[in-house]
Amino acid sequence: MILLFLENFKISLSSVFANKTRSLLTALGIIIGVLSVTLMGTLISGLDRSFESSMSWLGKDILYVSRYQWFSDMEWWEVRNRPRMLPEYVEKIKERSKYALAVAPVMQRGASLSYKEKKTRTEIFGTSEDYMQTISTDIASGRFFTRNEDRSGSRVTVIGDGIREAFFGNQDPIGKYIKIDEMKFRVIGVLEKQGKFLGLFSIDKQAVLPLGAYKRIFSRRGWMRLSVKVPYEKLDEGLDEVTSVMRHIRGLKPNEENDFAINQTKAFEKQYTTLKIAIGGTGIFITLLSLVVGGIGIMNIMFVSVKERTREIGVRKAIGATSGMIMGQFLMEAVAICLFAGSIGILFAYLFSFVINMFFPSTLPIGLAIAAMLMSLIVGVISGLVPSYRAAKLDPIDSLRYE
Amino acid sequence: MTLISLKSIYKIYNVGGEEVRALDGIDLDINENEYLAIMGPSGSGKSTLMNMVGCLDTPTSGIYEFEGEMVQVMDDSQLASIRNRKIGFVFQTFNLLPKATAQHNVEIPLVYANIRKRQRVEMASKALESVGLSDRSHHRPNELSGGQRQRVAIARALVNNPSIILADEPTGNLDSKSGHEIMNILDDLHQKGNTIILVTHEDDIAQHAHRVIRLLDGEITEDLKIKSK
Repeated sequence: MILLFLENFKISLSSVFANKTRSLLTALGIIIGVLSVTLMGTLISGLDRSFESSMSWLGKDILYVSRYQWFSDMEWWEVRNRPRMLPEYVEKIKERSKYALAVAPVMQRGASLSYKEKKTRTEIFGTSEDYMQTISTDIASGRFFTRNEDRSGSRVTVIGDGIREAFFGNQDPIGKYIKIDEMKFRVIGVLEKQGKFLGLFSIDKQAVLPLGAYKRIFSRRGWMRLSVKVPYEKLDEGLDEVTSVMRHIRGLKPNEENDFAINQTKAFEKQYTTLKIAIGGTGIFITLLSLVVGGIGIMNIMFVSVKERTREIGVRKAIGATSGMIMGQFLMEAVAICLFAGSIGILFAYLFSFVINMFFPSTLPIGLAIAAMLMSLIVGVISGLVPSYRAAKLDPIDSLRYE
Repeated sequence: MTLISLKSIYKIYNVGGEEVRALDGIDLDINENEYLAIMGPSGSGKSTLMNMVGCLDTPTSGIYEFEGEMVQVMDDSQLASIRNRKIGFVFQTFNLLPKATAQHNVEIPLVYANIRKRQRVEMASKALESVGLSDRSHHRPNELSGGQRQRVAIARALVNNPSIILADEPTGNLDSKSGHEIMNILDDLHQKGNTIILVTHEDDIAQHAHRVIRLLDGEITEDLKIKSK
């Protein structure tokens, strides 16, 4: 039986390669199907990884208290009409909340940074000494600023790894002075390298300053958000508690709606899941469509092949092939075309994954490649079934006479 | 010893509501190492008889025993097995697989007999040698002359050491010189003890046989032993 299997395999391979163009054209549907499903998988795996690392930058255990609800369809003027976050909320939340482990006010704006003749535009953050507890990044060298430096409005800054690299290269940046919007700041620390947020912008191009200095120099009345760290396992309780603390601070009556928003990375996750379903759904739709079309194409070419080789079938039967062996031969041929197509599809997907990799790190998931091959196999069996059954049932005498 | 025994074999087709008796009560015994020619005009039923004897077809009624086994009750795979092990076909149009080498063509019956590669190669080489084509074993059919192709076909028929060789107009597509060569090979095989059944409408080809059967309208009209053996 194994011998026959090997023989059939050889026959089918030689038949596939004898009609290279035909096989390739026939296989196109399957190639596209396999390509789309594996590319989609690669894309999603890359997105997943990028999303995970981005979310860990945001911090899964952080509540972001601000005027604006992420991904909401609130009108801008509605947001603008809400009261601002105030620095004094920090102490109030710390006082009244038992879940809040750290509370950091964060103001943010764009600024131009320069060191000697090097210049760049970036985001600057004004915050308090608690900030480090609300981000997942560590200090790579130097130190973060202290409470006293914040209070006294010291002009010190902690820069991202991207700024360090752009300005200082291999030099030690600690103690050097850089200019932020023409104001001199002393670099006291460097944050660890982070990468890109959702593949969009570099988290490493940032500078963090004490809120005291930030407000004095840049804007007294900017947008502020509060980052509240709560224990990860008490996320929901923390959310409820901080919400009620905020309502209390704002003096809201029970029937009044919140005039603030508390955001979590969950909001991103929801958005992300929607995106993933969209990509996955499209991918699966294209895959199914091209597999059906490809399967029909293969069935068609198998009918042609059976017809063309009617005489061969007759000869094989005359010299001792059973119907089952003939069926096996043609079924194998259909499967061989499909596996051949599957391999080409995966090869292309592998090459494309390098392109995707340029945007966010991703690799072709092995499991998916195997699943895709299995899928090709199944398509081969299904589309080969009827033609090979027809071949098996051919009458040897008629087949031998077939011209 | 009786190899093949046909008793009142009928093969009746229904063509457009009309009954066609391709074989109309055939009784025939063929013994081991006979050299038999079946003759008759086209439409006489000689091809049907040949297919019947070759287990490619089953009778509408009658009893067919091959080496004592009842053929008419066999299923597809049993028939395939008999064809594979007991019968070697030689066709007028050679019927080699065009994309396979001579060697591989000869090996195919052995593949269906589930014989291992090494033994297959050995047996096929020997069969090719016996028809004088050892030097052509790696050529494809389109690189061989008609006579050579037919010799490959004979090697393929021989390779499984069958009980009989069925040759359907084996020289029909060949020039007379090649035809002679092929008949010499068949004569030789008969000398070595093979049973040979020849279907032909040429008298001089039938001369090679030791017994000639004439068919007309599905019936045997003459059964003549030319030489006793």
